[in-house]
Amino acid sequence: METLNVALGLITSPNALLAVVVGTFIGLVFGSIPGLTFTVALALVLPITFALDATPAIALLLSTYIGGMTGGSVSAILLGIPGTPSAAATVIDGYQMTRRGQASLALGTAVIVSTFGGLISLLVMILSIEFVAKMALRFGPAEIFALVLFGLSTICGLSGKSLLRGMIAGLIGLMIMTIGLDEIDGVQRLTFGTITLQQGVNLLVAMIALFAVPHIIQAFVTYYMGREMPVRAADVNVELPRWQDLKSNFWLAIRCALMGTGIGAIPGTGGPIAAFLAYAHARKTAKGKPPVGKGALAGVVAPETANNAVTGGTMIPLLALGIPGDPATAIVLSGLLIHGLVPGPMLFIEHPDTISAVYFIVILAYIAVLLLQLLGIRFFVQMLRVPAHLLAVGITVMCCFGAFAVRNSVFDVYTMGVLGVLAYTLMRARIPLTPIILGLVLGPTLEREFRTALILSEGDPMIFVSSVPAVIFLTLAALVFAMPAWRMLRKSKSLEVAKNAQVQPRKNS
Amino acid sequence: MYASSRERITGLVILAFSVLWIVAVWQTIPAGTPGTVGPRAFPLVLGGALALMACILIGRTFRPVQHSADSDMNSDENAGPAADGYVNLWMVAALFITVVVYGFAMEKIGFVLSTLLVVPAVMILILRIRSWQRIVGMAVGLAFGCWLVFGKILGAYIPPGIWISLF
Repeated sequence: METLNVALGLITSPNALLAVVVGTFIGLVFGSIPGLTFTVALALVLPITFALDATPAIALLLSTYIGGMTGGSVSAILLGIPGTPSAAATVIDGYQMTRRGQASLALGTAVIVSTFGGLISLLVMILSIEFVAKMALRFGPAEIFALVLFGLSTICGLSGKSLLRGMIAGLIGLMIMTIGLDEIDGVQRLTFGTITLQQGVNLLVAMIALFAVPHIIQAFVTYYMGREMPVRAADVNVELPRWQDLKSNFWLAIRCALMGTGIGAIPGTGGPIAAFLAYAHARKTAKGKPPVGKGALAGVVAPETANNAVTGGTMIPLLALGIPGDPATAIVLSGLLIHGLVPGPMLFIEHPDTISAVYFIVILAYIAVLLLQLLGIRFFVQMLRVPAHLLAVGITVMCCFGAFAVRNSVFDVYTMGVLGVLAYTLMRARIPLTPIILGLVLGPTLEREFRTALILSEGDPMIFVSSVPAVIFLTLAALVFAMPAWRMLRKSKSLEVAKNAQVQPRKNS
Repeated sequence: MYASSRERITGLVILAFSVLWIVAVWQTIPAGTPGTVGPRAFPLVLGGALALMACILIGRTFRPVQHSADSDMNSDENAGPAADGYVNLWMVAALFITVVVYGFAMEKIGFVLSTLLVVPAVMILILRIRSWQRIVGMAVGLAFGCWLVFGKILGAYIPPGIWISLF
């Protein structure tokens, strides 16, 4: 009780409260703009924390992280371009809702379920931090490989009508991420001797290229051909989800929050995997019209709940083991170390008030996110009044600047151009782009964990079936890959039978 | 009825790309230590898998289309209007050139000046907008707006330019 009181005193100081608000705002802004992301925001605020006390410093970092994770949904929904990799799954249904004139509903729902997911994950974290940390500690490379493979199997659900084209897209994404320096051996791969290609293709740059550039080209083409539809102001209203909508998606949100928390607790996974797995789950389980994939509210609820639930999950290995789950939490870890707070079991013993302060910071940050977004939705929605072709010009500038800002490298701008053209060409060839993202996100982890597992087992492939979690994930992945193919085969056969039945009566008559 | 030739072309292009990929991987990436999964393995397997998928895609174009089972061949999920062919090509080329020029200019003369030049060029040459108020407003608004918000308020690094560095 005394620890809680001390923590409450720390977090209610003016500096700490201001840090929460400022950090949340910065995170929201950076998360909303494709290419900037909260990782850049965190890198920018980290030097500021030097001058602050420990609690405001942690507050600033965590709030920026949380704000950024939520902010990615804004551009995902309004523009069809994810602000962060975690919001890529939200684009699928969120942007379709915007095109149907339901932008405000999608945004309002995203804000509420994001807060819900974050708070649920915080609750789970508080109740189970020690137990979950032990579970995560047991996940070795074989288990993580199996989990990531299962994550890739969601390609089947994201391929639309064509599994083959979806797999082609996923393979292209996996291939792109092999360019650069090999993580394990440090060997140059397909760099052709150039230093710039050694950097490889940055994931964020690839995201901008795959989502933004085709959008820009399409907007220019539509305007050039005189087909641009003006957005009527009357179409855009502030609209929070109805109680009925929230109620009908409540259990989906709970499941996705738990999914996100569990995945966040495993280092190396994170928001994008949680979001896509949750989305695939919603696609299978959510009922109602329209179906998930065609602009359904459940298609926004699932990924947004899961990717925000990851924030609580990532804190578990971060605080309990000192293992950052992703680049963003690595920066948060740096901030903790700067202030003499070494994560690990000793942190719970020597600084229990800091741990409690973290819990309060997360609660306050999500409240701040909720209020800032609810108050700011009117402003965000106004973006739709800007003619699409002018917005596309602005997006071109932001994307080029964003691509440059990732690594302060003009090579990334050129990469964005090349990948963007490739993406548009693929789109015109009816190759879906979403599975490419999955390949880009999961490729490095898949290869790294696969090879690491084989190194540890001295080349024995049985390592992948030697633990229960690995077997479960591999079995699930096999089932998910096999089911659509089996269904297609059955359909082909039944059509063949029907065709023969039609031919037979004609022969007999 | 047979699937469109576009499907076949797509398959052939992907097959050609995957063959080139396999050749490049084989020639430029070492295999690694014998008995281990080296740096060449993954790119090679991925290239092989893509070649296989491309062959299946091409193979499907040589059989009659059954409307339900092969519905993906007739899917318009990602296709745009066919009549936009030349316009699409022009826009792809124009945007690619814009991005390359913009990136080059950003590095040489800085973000603000390059934005002041590129935005009007895009609006006039690509979009054929003639309203000078919109052109000036967009160029100045984007250039100085980004410089102010990201450079000054948020402290992000704005490329200053190597040849000319005004901001």
